[in-house]
Amino acid sequence: MSKKTPPRKKKTESSPRRKRSGLWRFLFRAAALCLVLLAGWMVYLDAVVTSRFEGRRFEVPSRVYARPLELYDGAGISAAALVRELELAGYRSGDGRRPGTWQRNGDRFVISTRGFSFPDGKEPRRRLSLAVRGDRVDSFSVMEGDSSPIVRLEPAQIGGIYPSHREDRILVELDEVPEAMIAGLMAVEDRQFYEHFGIAPLSIARAMVANIKAGRIVQGGSTLTQQLVKNFFLTREQTLLRKGNEALMSVLLELHYDKDDILETYLNEVYLGQAGTRSIHGVGLASQFFFGESLKDIEVHQIALLIGMVKGPSYYNPRRHPERARARRNLVLDEMAEAGVISGQEAREASARPLGLSAKPSYTDNRYPAYIDLVRRHLARDYREEDLQSEGLRIFTTLNPEVQQAAEKAATDTLPRLASGEVAEALEAAVVVTAKDTGEVLALVGGKDPRFAGFNRAVDARRPIGSLVKPFIYLTALSQPERYTLISPVQDKAFTLEFDDGRRWQPQNYDGKERGLVPLHEALSRSYNLPAVRVGLDVGIPAVQETLRAFGVTTPISDYPSMLLGSISLSPVDVAQLYQGLATSGFNTPLRTIREVTDAANEPLSRYSLKVDQVADPAAVHLVQYVMQETMQEGTGRSAYYRLPDSLTLAGKTGTTDDGRDSWFAGFSGDLLAVAWVGRDDNGPTALTGASGALPVWSATMAQIPQHGFSPVMPDGVQYHWVNPGEQALTGENCDNARLIPFIAGSEPEQHTGCSGSLGRQIRGWFEGLFQ
Amino acid sequence: MPVGGDDRRSAPEPPRTNIPDEQDEQVWRKSEQPTVTEPDSPSTRAPSYSESGDQLPAAALTLVRDADQRLRQGDSAGAIARLERAQRIAPRSSEVYFKLAEAYVAGDNLGAAEQFTLKGLSLAGNDERMQRSGWLLLADIRRARGNVAGADQAEARAAAL
Repeated sequence: MSKKTPPRKKKTESSPRRKRSGLWRFLFRAAALCLVLLAGWMVYLDAVVTSRFEGRRFEVPSRVYARPLELYDGAGISAAALVRELELAGYRSGDGRRPGTWQRNGDRFVISTRGFSFPDGKEPRRRLSLAVRGDRVDSFSVMEGDSSPIVRLEPAQIGGIYPSHREDRILVELDEVPEAMIAGLMAVEDRQFYEHFGIAPLSIARAMVANIKAGRIVQGGSTLTQQLVKNFFLTREQTLLRKGNEALMSVLLELHYDKDDILETYLNEVYLGQAGTRSIHGVGLASQFFFGESLKDIEVHQIALLIGMVKGPSYYNPRRHPERARARRNLVLDEMAEAGVISGQEAREASARPLGLSAKPSYTDNRYPAYIDLVRRHLARDYREEDLQSEGLRIFTTLNPEVQQAAEKAATDTLPRLASGEVAEALEAAVVVTAKDTGEVLALVGGKDPRFAGFNRAVDARRPIGSLVKPFIYLTALSQPERYTLISPVQDKAFTLEFDDGRRWQPQNYDGKERGLVPLHEALSRSYNLPAVRVGLDVGIPAVQETLRAFGVTTPISDYPSMLLGSISLSPVDVAQLYQGLATSGFNTPLRTIREVTDAANEPLSRYSLKVDQVADPAAVHLVQYVMQETMQEGTGRSAYYRLPDSLTLAGKTGTTDDGRDSWFAGFSGDLLAVAWVGRDDNGPTALTGASGALPVWSATMAQIPQHGFSPVMPDGVQYHWVNPGEQALTGENCDNARLIPFIAGSEPEQHTGCSGSLGRQIRGWFEGLFQ
Repeated sequence: MPVGGDDRRSAPEPPRTNIPDEQDEQVWRKSEQPTVTEPDSPSTRAPSYSESGDQLPAAALTLVRDADQRLRQGDSAGAIARLERAQRIAPRSSEVYFKLAEAYVAGDNLGAAEQFTLKGLSLAGNDERMQRSGWLLLADIRRARGNVAGADQAEARAAAL
C-alpha cells in the first residue's frame, strides 16, 4: 500500500517555527560536529600523552651491584672495612634488631640482615653475631634465622646503566623517595593530589582570586599532573591554547594511570635546573647535582630546597641566587610545618642551616666510573645497548669496594710524592687488582682522579711493557730443562746485532754495566737487559711470541728483537691477564667483571663462570715464580717491603721503558694480583723506574688489604736442592753461597762442591741432622 | 729429601693491615738498584712454597655439601654456583676443583671438567689421597672424551701412588 504523504498545508503559518527549528538543528549539528572534533582531538592528545608517559615510565635502567660480602669464620676483613661495607649496602648503625642495622661493641658486631634474592637462591633474613680480631672474622654465629656457617650480605648497588638520551636522570622508585619529600611536595604544590581527577578547578579558581587580589601572579593552580604534562614538552611558552591542551591531557593521563605511577614519574621528570647544555631532571639527579648525595641521604633542609625550586628552577637556582633560594626554602619549610609534614621545631632548625650544597656539581651516582666502563664493555659482548638501558636488568659484578678504595687511595696519595713540579702535574696512574685464582676483577683505577669518568687508562692506555716481558722469555727457556735451569750461566755482556738491511742494534743494561756470566735467576730478578735478549734470541723470538699468546696476548707482537725488551704495547688490564697465568701456575684464567645477569624478576639471563685452561707446564712456571719471589726479596722489587710486612711473601716484576716514560709493576700474593702503571699521558720522560714509580703505588694498595702470602704448591716433577750457583754444583745447606733452588727433576747439577763456611754453622747443621 | 725454607704445611698466616702511622716520613728511593744499606738481610725472607694445597674451611665445606645435594637432584648449574662460591673462599683447595669437575661432567661439559681436574691436581702436592682421586677422575674424563692413551697414562699415575 503506498503511503500518501499528507498535502503540505498551512505553509505560511509554520515558516517562523521552521526557521527556529532550523536554527536549532544547525546549532545541534554544529555542536555535534564540535563534539566529534573534540573527541578526535582528545583521542589524538590521549595518544600523545600516553606515549610520552610510557616512554618515560617503562624505561627502567639496569642496576649494577658490587660483589656481596661473605661472612664466615676466618674471612679476612678489618673492623673498619666491615663498617664501610655495611654502610655501602645501606645499613645504619643502630640496635642490630631491625633489619638493615648493626650494633657494635668494641670488636663484636651484631648485624640484622635484610635478605636478598640472589640469582642462585634466596638469602633469608638473619641476625648474626661475630667478632673481628686480627683482621679476621671469628666467633661467627647466627642468632636468628636459618643457621649457616656462611652468610652473604645484600650486594651494594654501585651504579646504573641508563639510556644515552637519558644520561641526565638518576631514576628513583617511589619507595626510595623520602616521605618528607612526597608529603612536602604535595603540601606546597598540590594538596589535593590524591583526590582530584587531573585538574583541580577549585585550586584554579582560588589562584585566580589570589592573583587578581595581588595584581600579579602569586599562585598557580596547576596540579602535579598538569606540571608533569608541561614537563613533557620542550617549549615552555604558556599560551591559553597550550594550557587548555595540558588540562585535557592531565585528565586523560589520570584516566589511564594510577596516582602512584604519576607521582613517581613526576619525581623523575620534574625540571630542576640547567648546567650548560645539560638539563637536570628528576629529584634523584638533582640531589646528586646540588648536594653530591644520593636522594635517600639528604636531609630536611635540602629536601625543602628542592621542593622550593620546582616553582622556578632558574629563579631559585641556589648556586646563582643563594639568598633567594634560601628564602624560598624557608618558606617551604614553614608550609611543611603548617601541613604537619615536619614539626615546628624541625622547621626552625632546618631554616637555620646553610643550603648544604656540594662544592662541585656531580652528574652521576656511578661511584666507580672506570670499573663500570669495563663492565659495560664486557656486557656489550652479549647484550645490546638498548636492552641494558631499558629492561631493568640486574648485573652482579665482582667489584670489591674495599680493594677499590685501597687502590684509589694508593694512586691519589702516592703520585704527588713521586715527582715535583711540571712532571708531578702531568703524572698519571692506573691500577688493576684481581683475585689471583678466580680472575675476578676486584678493583680498577683509570686515573689519579678516580671519581672522574674520563680516559680509562686501565683499559685503554696501551703502553710498552718493557721488562715485564722478561719472565715470559725465561719461561720459554726454562720449559727446555735440558738446556736451561735457574742456575744456568747467562752472559751479561754487550753485543751488536746487525740486520740484513745493515741497521745495527746495541742493547744496554739500565745501569750501563756488564757483569759477565751470571746465573739465570739473578739475570731475571735483577732485570738485566743483555742476558734477556741473548736468551730470547737463543730460544727464538717465535717461541717467545707463542708463550705470550698462550698467556693471552691477542694484539700483534713485533718480530724484532726489541720485543725482547718489551716493545709490546699493552693496557694494564691486558698485563693483568698475562700475569694471571704466571700467578696460577700456568692456568690461563680469563678476567671477569660480571658473575651473573638477571632480569628484573630475578630470572637468570647469563652466567659468567670460572674458566681455567692449562697453557704451560706448571713446573716451568714454578721456576719463574721462584725468581719473581727473589725479585721481591733481593731484586728490583725489594723496596716493596718498606710498606709491607716481611712475613707477606710476594712475587713480582718491575718494568721500565726508555727515559722512564712508563713505570710498571705486576705482582701477586696468595690472594691478589695487582698491576700498577705510572706515566704521562703525553708520553713524556720521567725520572721514574718501575721500582720508584709503579711499585710504591702497588705496595700502598697491597698494604691496606689483609691477605695471605704467596706460597705455591710444588708441582709434579719439581724438586728443591741446595746448590752453589757460581759453581754449578750441589752443596750443603750451611755452606757458603748455598741457595735452595727448584729444579725440574733430572735437570739439577750432578756434582757436589766442597763446603766452606763457618765451622760453627756446619757443626750446628750436623747436630740438627742427628735429631731429625 | 731436603724440605723447603719453612716447614709450613699451610700458607702463611694472613698479616694485619699494615697502615702506617700518619706521622711516619715515607722515604721513597729513586733508583731501581737499591743501595747496599737495606733494612733486612735477605735470609730473613725466604722464598716460600708449600708441599700441598689448603684444607677446606668449614664455610666452604657447607657449600660443597650443598652442591653435592644439588648434583644429586640433577641441578648441575646450581651446584656450580655453590662450588664457585666455595672456590672464592678456598681457592687453593684441590677438592673444590675436583668437585667442579664432577659438576661439569654432570652438565656434559667434559672439556671444562678435564681442565678443572688438572687444576686440582696441580694443587694436590704430596697429598697422595687427593692425587689419586684426581688421577682417577682424570682417567674417567679422558676415557669419556675418547682419549684412551691419556686415560691410561692417568690411571698409571694413580696406580703408582
